[in-house]
Amino acid sequence: MNDKLDRQALQRHLDQLPPMHPERRAAAVPMMQALQIEHGCLDDAAVEEVAHLTGLSVTEIDELATFYSLIYRRPAGRHVLRICDSVCCSLRGADRLLIAAENYSGVPLGKISPDGAFSILPSICLGLCDQAPAALVGDEAVGPLDEASLEALLQRLREED
Amino acid sequence: MGTIRIENHEIPFREGDNILKTALAAGMEIPYFCYHTALGSLGACRLCAVEITPKDPGKAPQVVMACLEPARGGIEVSISSAAAQQVRQKVIEFLMTNHPHDCPVCDEGGECHLQEMTVACGPPYRRYRGRKRTFTNQYLGPLVHHEMNRCITCYRCTRFYQDYALGDDLGAMRLRNEVYFGRFQDGPLASPFAGNLVEICPTGVFTDAVFRQHFARVWDLKTAPSICPHCSIGCNTLPGARDGMLRRVRNRFHPDLNRWFICDRGRYGHQYSEHPARPLTSRVDGAKVSYRQALAAAAEQIKAVGDKTGGLGSVREDLEGNTLLRALLNGFNGIFTAFSDPRLEAATITAVTALQNTTGAPSLAEMEQADAALIVGDLTAHAPMIDLALRQAYRSGARLAVLHSGPTPLARFAATALAIPPHEMSVCLSHLSERAAAPSAANSNQKEMLANIVVSLTASHRPLLIGVTETLSASQIAVLAQLAAALGPGARLAYALPGANAYGAALLSQTGRATAMLEAIETGHIQNLIVAGNDPLGDTRLGARWRAARQRLDSLIVLDCVATATAEAADILIPVAAWAERSGTFVNYEGRAQGFTHTFRRPEFLPSTAEVIADLARHLELVLPDIAAALGDTFPGYQAPVPGAPGSPLPAPAIPMHIDTTIHQGCESHPGRWQAALSTWYGDDPLASFAPALTELVPAVAALISPAAALNEGIKAGERVRLQGPAGTVVLPVQPDNDVAAGTIALTRAVLAQLGAGHGDPLELEKVS
Repeated sequence: MNDKLDRQALQRHLDQLPPMHPERRAAAVPMMQALQIEHGCLDDAAVEEVAHLTGLSVTEIDELATFYSLIYRRPAGRHVLRICDSVCCSLRGADRLLIAAENYSGVPLGKISPDGAFSILPSICLGLCDQAPAALVGDEAVGPLDEASLEALLQRLREED
Repeated sequence: MGTIRIENHEIPFREGDNILKTALAAGMEIPYFCYHTALGSLGACRLCAVEITPKDPGKAPQVVMACLEPARGGIEVSISSAAAQQVRQKVIEFLMTNHPHDCPVCDEGGECHLQEMTVACGPPYRRYRGRKRTFTNQYLGPLVHHEMNRCITCYRCTRFYQDYALGDDLGAMRLRNEVYFGRFQDGPLASPFAGNLVEICPTGVFTDAVFRQHFARVWDLKTAPSICPHCSIGCNTLPGARDGMLRRVRNRFHPDLNRWFICDRGRYGHQYSEHPARPLTSRVDGAKVSYRQALAAAAEQIKAVGDKTGGLGSVREDLEGNTLLRALLNGFNGIFTAFSDPRLEAATITAVTALQNTTGAPSLAEMEQADAALIVGDLTAHAPMIDLALRQAYRSGARLAVLHSGPTPLARFAATALAIPPHEMSVCLSHLSERAAAPSAANSNQKEMLANIVVSLTASHRPLLIGVTETLSASQIAVLAQLAAALGPGARLAYALPGANAYGAALLSQTGRATAMLEAIETGHIQNLIVAGNDPLGDTRLGARWRAARQRLDSLIVLDCVATATAEAADILIPVAAWAERSGTFVNYEGRAQGFTHTFRRPEFLPSTAEVIADLARHLELVLPDIAAALGDTFPGYQAPVPGAPGSPLPAPAIPMHIDTTIHQGCESHPGRWQAALSTWYGDDPLASFAPALTELVPAVAALISPAAALNEGIKAGERVRLQGPAGTVVLPVQPDNDVAAGTIALTRAVLAQLGAGHGDPLELEKVS
C-alpha cells in the first residue's frame, strides 16, 4: 500500500491489521509503515496511535520504530535517497557519491533539502552489490551510479514535484 | 554438582550455573560488565572472556564468554591466559573509543566499574583519535541524571527497568553503535525503583540527580551501615555524609531482604534531614533556648502536673526511644502508646499478634518464591519493596490476586484484581476465609471471582497473603490471618506495617491506649503530653480532634527531627537526631530487629530520643534503667543487634490471638453513599514528604472515582466536586479511574486530613456548578 489513503480508509486499514496477525503486537510494523506513508514519517502522535492499537507501550513501539532504518521518526524530504556505503559500494565510489549528493542538495546528509524535495541518507548494505555503487530512491533500486547520473537523478526528482 | 578447574583450582559448581557465576561464587575474579546476579547473563559486553581447554586432547583450547558457557566437569578454565587477556584488552579499547574522557567531572568517578575494568584489563593508552559518537541527553526527572555519551551498551538499565522491575517507560532505542537508552519523550521516570539505575549502570550514564546537587567523591564520604527509616521492610542502606551533611543513600546488600535494590523512597527520602525548616535548636514557647534549658523547662512542667502526663511514641521512632519513653511513663503511671489513631493502633497490634501466632512473615527472598499471592491494599505505596518482590514472583509465574479500593500499580500484573469498596472488604475477606475452610457454590460474579482466588491459593504450594495495615481494620487483619490458617501450614502471611519500627512499637503498645489517651486529654486527666517522633495534630483521621484536645493541654513537649504540625505547635520542642545521625534499632515487618549506627554528627548538638528521655529522667530525679536494661526488661533475652549484621528476631512473648470478627459487622450496615479510600503513592511517608526532589513527583491531587460512578453522577473528567467530611470541605477536580471501587472516592492523605476522614469513612459529594 503505497498510495495515501483518506483518514477513514487509513483507520479501516489500521483496524484490520491486528486480527490479521495471530500475535496482535506483530501488527505494529505494518501499522508503522501505513502511518509513515500517510504522514511522511512516524511522529510522536503516530507512535502513540500504534501503541494504542497494538496494546504495546509507547516505549516498545519507539524501540521498534527506531530499530528499523526504513521507519523515519523525524520528517524527511518528499523523496528519500539512501546511498549504500557498505563494502562493495564503498570500493566502487560511494564516498564520492555522498559528497556529490551533499553538494547538490546544499545540506548535510540526513537533513531535508531547502526546497523539501529530498533527504539523502547513507545506508548500510542494500543487497545491490551487483549494481554497486547503488542507491534506493523510495522503493526503487538504482545503480550503478556515478556523480553525473546521481545529479541527473536528483534533478529528475526535483522536477517531478 | 561437579567440579570445574579454574586457574588450577578445583571449584564445585551447581548444575546449570555458568563459569562466571561459579568463579564469582568461589571468590575468583573474572572481569565483567553486563552480567548481574539478579539479571543473569546476556553476553552483550564480551568482557568476561576466558580460555577453556576441553577434556578431549584432540580439541584446541578456545576463548569463550564465561557468562554464557555452562560450567562442566572436566574442562579447564584459564582467566589469565594470554588469549583471554588479549580479548578483554581489545574489548575495553573498543568500548573506550566512544567513551568520553570526562572522568574528572563524572559523578561516577571513583566508583565506576568501567574505570576499574579499564585499569584492570585495558591498554594503558588510547590510540583512537577520531570523532566520538555523541548523543542528546534527556530530562528523566528530579531523581536520575542522564549522560548517554558514556554508555557502553551493557543493557543492564533496560534489563533491570523493564525485565526485572516491569517498568515500561525506559527502553533501548535505535541500533548498532547508536543504541540509546532513554524514554519516548523527556519526562520523569515513572517506576518506583528508577533510582536503582544509578547503581546498576556500570558507568556514569545514570547518576543520582539529588546527590549531584551536593556532590562529593566517594572517598570523601563517611558511611556506616544503616536501615531505611521509610517503611516497615527494613531495607539495608548505606548513607554517605560529608561536612556535617547527609549527601546520599545507597543500597546495602541483605541476603533475605532488599539484596541489590532499594526503592526510590528509600534512596531519595533522606533529604528530609536536610530540609531548611528542620528544627535544629530547642524552643520553649517559641523562643530559642539551649538543650539544658529546654530539658529544665520540660522537667518543671512534668513535676507541676505530677502523674497527669502522657507519652506518645511513634512507629517511625526507634525501639530505644519508644521503650525508654514507655519506661519513663511507667515511672509515674502515665499512659503510653505509639499510635495517634486508635484504629491504626488496633490494626497494627492485631497484625503483629497474628504474625507471632503463625510461622512469621516471610522475607522478601521468600516472597519471590510464592506461586500464588493475595494482596489486600496498595503495596506499592505502603511497602514498595514487597511490590518488587511480588513482581519477581509474577515473572516466575505466580498468580497474583489483588483486592483494592483505590488505584494500585500491582493490579496490572494480577490474574484477578477486584476493586472493592472499603466497607465491603470485611465481607469479602470473610467470604474468602469461609470458602477456604468449606467450599460452597458461587452465586454472583464477584463471588465467582473470589472463588477463583481461593482455588488458586488452595492449589498453590507456596501461597502468600499480604495485607496493608493502614487500610485494613483490626478485624479484617484477623480474618486475613484466619484465611492463612485455613490454607494450611504452607501458607505464609505478611502485613505491610505503618512505619520502620511499627512492629516494635506495637509490642510496646496496647489496644485501646490511644483512645484512652485522647479521652484523658479531653477530660483534663492528662495535662502534659510528651510526643516522640509522632504527629497527632497532623493525623489523617483524627487531626482535628487532636488539635482541639491540644488546647486542653498545659504543655506539649515534642521530640522530633522534622517540622510537623505537632512540632510547630509544641510548647517545648527538643530537636533530635535523624536516623543517620544516631544509633538505634528498627524492628521490621518480620519482627527482625536490625541495628543501625550513626553515619555522621551535625555541628548542632542533636541527641537521640532515648538520650533526651534519659536526660529528662535525670532532671526529674527519676531512676530510669539504662537503654540496654530497659530493653532487656521489656524483651527478655534481648541482645542489641549489631549494625551491619543481618538482624535477629526480636524476642517477645507471644500474645494469644484473639479474633473478634463481629466488630466489623456493625460498621458494614450503614456505609453512606460515598466512602473515602486512601490513595497514596510510593514517595509518601511522614519523613519523605519533607524530601523536595521526591515530592516533585507527587501525583496531581484529584478526587478519583470509578468511571461508572462518574457517568452515574453526570460528572466529566476535570469537573469539580465539593467533598464534605467530618472536619471540613474540599473542592477538587474529578478524575475517573478504573481501579477505584464503586461508591468510593480515592483521595490523598493530605486531602483526607483536611476532610478529617480515614480510609472507609463516609463522605458527602456534591457537584460544583
